[in-house]
Amino acid sequence: MEELIKNLKAQIIDALNLEELSIDDIDTDAALFGDDGLGLDSIDALELIVLLEKNYGIRLANASEGKDIFKSVRSIAEYVEKNRKK
Amino acid sequence: MIGVVATNITSPLGMSSAENYQAVKRGMSKLRRYEGYMGVPEPFFASLFTTEQIGGMAVEGFTRFESMVLHSVRDALSYTSLDVGSERVVFILASTKGNVGEDGCEGDELGVLSQKIADELGINTMPIVVCNACISGLSAQVLALRLLESEQYDYAIVCGADCQSRFIVSGFQSLKALSDVQCRPFDDERLGLNLGEAASTIIFSRFAGSHDWKLKRGAVRNDAFHISGPHPKGEGCYRALSSVLDGYDINQLASIGVHGTATMYNDQMESKAIERAGLSQVPLSALKGYFGHTMGAAGVLESVIMMMSLDDELILPSRGFSEIGVSGKVTISGEVITTDKKAFVKILSGFGGCNGAILFDKKDEESVPAVCEMKEAGHVVISRDRVEVNGKDLAVESSGKAMLTDLYKSLECNYPKYYKMDMLSRLAFISCEMLLEKMPSNDSINANTAVILFNHSSAILSDRAYKKTISDAENYYPSPSVFVYTLPNISTGEICIRHHLNGESSFFILPSRDDEKLKSVVDALCRERGVQRVIYGWIDCPDEESFEADVRLLEKGTITTF
Repeated sequence: MEELIKNLKAQIIDALNLEELSIDDIDTDAALFGDDGLGLDSIDALELIVLLEKNYGIRLANASEGKDIFKSVRSIAEYVEKNRKK
Repeated sequence: MIGVVATNITSPLGMSSAENYQAVKRGMSKLRRYEGYMGVPEPFFASLFTTEQIGGMAVEGFTRFESMVLHSVRDALSYTSLDVGSERVVFILASTKGNVGEDGCEGDELGVLSQKIADELGINTMPIVVCNACISGLSAQVLALRLLESEQYDYAIVCGADCQSRFIVSGFQSLKALSDVQCRPFDDERLGLNLGEAASTIIFSRFAGSHDWKLKRGAVRNDAFHISGPHPKGEGCYRALSSVLDGYDINQLASIGVHGTATMYNDQMESKAIERAGLSQVPLSALKGYFGHTMGAAGVLESVIMMMSLDDELILPSRGFSEIGVSGKVTISGEVITTDKKAFVKILSGFGGCNGAILFDKKDEESVPAVCEMKEAGHVVISRDRVEVNGKDLAVESSGKAMLTDLYKSLECNYPKYYKMDMLSRLAFISCEMLLEKMPSNDSINANTAVILFNHSSAILSDRAYKKTISDAENYYPSPSVFVYTLPNISTGEICIRHHLNGESSFFILPSRDDEKLKSVVDALCRERGVQRVIYGWIDCPDEESFEADVRLLEKGTITTF
């Protein structure tokens, strides 16, 4: 799980061009969206959908399906662990 | 009196305005489901030309897109005796992506192809391409209005066009914006938009007759909210509507031609803007259920259909609509409505937060445009390894992309979104940061600041980057964020968001850099009441390491010297 969380953080930084951040700057339990935490937006959510499909073979139909999954890096990691196809 | 002397619609429903109008009047549409088409793995619902139709339009030596434009313009011209070679005629092409779906063609083709088409048609003045996302066809009419009002030309040939391709369809799919069934504008069960392809032309004249439709006013306003999501209360749309209807008797309006893409957010936003503008009682016309979203053509095509239907004393049913699914109070119907009113507003909204509104009626009253005296208040030039601010060179130690990032850091603006931007937006962002750094601002100035940018290469770097994400079937992961930046006007949206600017935002492409032409377009656009500041200039980024920004700030009234 810790390994997966670390990988996810690296993949998120890369996919969302969070250039000024490093893995250690992202709190595993902090909110990804909204004004606190990383402050991601709707395009970032769509880019996270691509990330899940590309790296873990998980397909989400739309962003609203991802609402609960994309709460924090931990919630993504838990979902990936259960549903990954690669 | 600026009015419409001839039109054309070229769509899968027909090759002339008359054919198209008769088809939609009968309730027809060519929207259908496509599976495994154009190399797009997921099925989609769209209105596309047949192979026979494409063959019928084909002109040797021209692409599918170019042939479609030639067909549309030539058909419109055939109803006039216009001398197209005259210095008094301007050709304005509105398109989001031009040839981009063609193999081997890239975004920089837009300027080149507009010149090629102008040459083929025998037009001698420099063409202007409007590349303002989904409102391009409407922005082009606003530009035509201003160029004719300022008497720079007597006639404007405005053609809006876009072809569908793997590039565009996959991009909209990655944004989860497409419905794979018939689109349902404003409906409770709407699931997204359908794409369509079309070209449509309007020829405007300064000498329109009393029976012709007159283009009275036009406005473009930015949401200053988000580059791909509309403002929830339709801020820019509301401002554009309010601007064109200021002092106008809204009881004269037969209809509002809405954007009505049938995405959740767009239709909801429009309903709010319409209610805020006091237009809840005016019936809406939503035409995407017939043609799909024809992108660069939409503003022209939908205006033409509205003129024809009002001439026919009808407001066409909003095909696909049955039960209201927006919270703003609006009047919309799936049934035909009769009317004898002869005035309408057409609105559109697009990526980059841009919103447009134009007002047409049949009255002969001359509108008196404002003429603003603007003074230059700032000038920034950035090239590969040189930065000049108000005539003074700034010492830089790096070059290319790294230099831009160094500039970003030195400006200490703490705006991490900078790193998400493509090179074109970064260049525009940094230029404006430097231009506005020491300028005082307030809400009133920001609400009336226009951002008008030009270039040659469109968003070619993002076009290439996006193509990489879809080129390999085994590794096909269309990137929504890269796709958004393939629209060059996103750069104007980024500036509006950063500085809270709600004025006009427009992006134009010229065959080559021509500062005189550029300034004449800006001067024409400044003929709008209330403009207080204009940021304008050349922002071209054909390469990560070699680019060119030459941006100026104009201010109304008091002169700021440097």
